[in-house]
Amino acid sequence: MEEKINREKYKTLGYNVLTLFLFLAIWTLAYWLIKSPFFPSPLMVFNAFLELLIHGDIEDVKLGMHIQQSLWRIFGGFAAACILGIPLGLLMGLYGRVYDSTKVLIEPIRFIPPVAWIPLVIVLLVGYFRFVFIIWLGAFFPIFIGTLLSVRGVNPLHIEVPKSFGASRFYIIRNIVLPSVLPEVLTSMRVGLGIAWECIMAAEMIGGERVGIGIMILKYAQLIRMDAIIVGIIVIGIIGFGLNEIFIFVEKRIFRWKEVVSI
Amino acid sequence: MEKELIDVDLSMKFDSLSVLENIRFKVHENEFLVIVGPSGCGKTTMARLLAGLQKPTSGHVTMRGESISPKVHNISIVFQEPSCIPWRTLWDDITMGLVIKGVDQSAIKKRAEEVIKLVGLDGFEEYFPKQLSGGMKQRVAIARAYATNPDLLLMDEPFGHLDAQTRYLMQIEIMRIWEKEKKTVVFITNNIEEAVYLATRIIVFSKLPARIKAEYRIELPRPRKLTTPEFLGVRSEVTEQCEVVER
Ligand SMILES: Nc1ncnc2c1ncn2[C@@H]1O[C@H](COP(=O)(O)OP(=O)(O)OP(=O)(O)O)[C@@H](O)[C@H]1O
Ligand SMILES: [Mg+2]
Repeated sequence: MEEKINREKYKTLGYNVLTLFLFLAIWTLAYWLIKSPFFPSPLMVFNAFLELLIHGDIEDVKLGMHIQQSLWRIFGGFAAACILGIPLGLLMGLYGRVYDSTKVLIEPIRFIPPVAWIPLVIVLLVGYFRFVFIIWLGAFFPIFIGTLLSVRGVNPLHIEVPKSFGASRFYIIRNIVLPSVLPEVLTSMRVGLGIAWECIMAAEMIGGERVGIGIMILKYAQLIRMDAIIVGIIVIGIIGFGLNEIFIFVEKRIFRWKEVVSI
Repeated sequence: MEKELIDVDLSMKFDSLSVLENIRFKVHENEFLVIVGPSGCGKTTMARLLAGLQKPTSGHVTMRGESISPKVHNISIVFQEPSCIPWRTLWDDITMGLVIKGVDQSAIKKRAEEVIKLVGLDGFEEYFPKQLSGGMKQRVAIARAYATNPDLLLMDEPFGHLDAQTRYLMQIEIMRIWEKEKKTVVFITNNIEEAVYLATRIIVFSKLPARIKAEYRIELPRPRKLTTPEFLGVRSEVTEQCEVVER
């Protein structure tokens, strides 16, 4: 049994490595066919990557610094979104009245794309908090709405079981509502994190700082240095992928009780 | 003399839909009262009212003279729908009522081991519901309900989802437990054979809106056999009453 699962794992890994090689092969082929100064080969991108990593960009800022700055901003905004979104979602899910009474404010704000706030935020806020605010705006609503809806989706029967034993409201929230919504809250956090990435790029490209992945891409865009731009893009993708995998790993660990349905 | 435990006298509506009309009966201590009635007539509604999970539109349900409430009275209910909590292991699920009622740790452990054995689930304590069969899950719900030693045990078609054989075994089991622990049970079913096999008394509900159509005291000796002429006689008598065309 254990052995079979392991074999499956290696097989999947093998196929993924194969996919990667195929992709690089097609890319190289395209490079040979297109032969344009604006279309770099994988090797050129790799060299640009090494250069950015070791020597830094045109302003001598190293790739690691860019990544660190962007992650730090995401962390701030994302943490703020979770700290506000989850309790507020729980509160409004449990007490429908609060949501119904504030709907007039919440719903329209929800439909304003975070990017639309950027000009305003640039004027009103400075430095780190600009980014935190934009990311917060982007990540907050998926987390908040996801949490709110998950509370409303709790199976009423699961609530009635402790209720029939005379459980307090606190017991029910602690032992039924919270564990029941946790998987969906984590999923909405994962969605929120994805949006946080979109926001950080937009914010950095407009935000007028010197360090950050988005800014790095912008610097090289002005020079039409495609190899370095692609490094930036790939770095974004890989970090996003990594963060997502961490979430999935945690989810699997916590939710041993969940039935896994495959389609 | 039978000691009265519960007094029911109520009507129940959902908006304009009248579900229970002038339902009036008493439940006595240690009796095994079975309510039968056609699907959709209001049996689950009756169970929820008896559990204090719902309030009647008019009238009352009282236990020893006090309006029934899960916070005041020691009641347990086995729901018609599968009700295991997915993220709780069998052990955590079965001990839920005991924890809520503030029983101390060592007593919880002792009682839980007892009821788990009673329903034949020992060895599965750390299993999650997804790892159990349908019948096992139902037994978890039953064990959870027994665990708190309730003054009133409500069972809403508890064997409805089980196959005939498991159902039969569960009926024998429940009888054994009732004879041993002498609880007061209100058992709901739409299966007349099951009703006659288990009941000390049967109340027959009419179809929607439900009224009490008939009441039988079943005095067949135990253990009952499904095939004796006496059993079949009582069973067809109740069946006929259930089939009477309603005016
Ligand atoms: N929460 C509710 N709101 C509105 N109508 C309800 C509600 N619960 C039950 N009803 C209605 O009350 C009637 C009786 O329902 P109930 O679940 O009590 O039937 P039942 O006798 O348990 O049926 P079954 O044997 O199929 O389980 C049905 O017509 C149903 O539509
Ligand atoms: Mg029912």
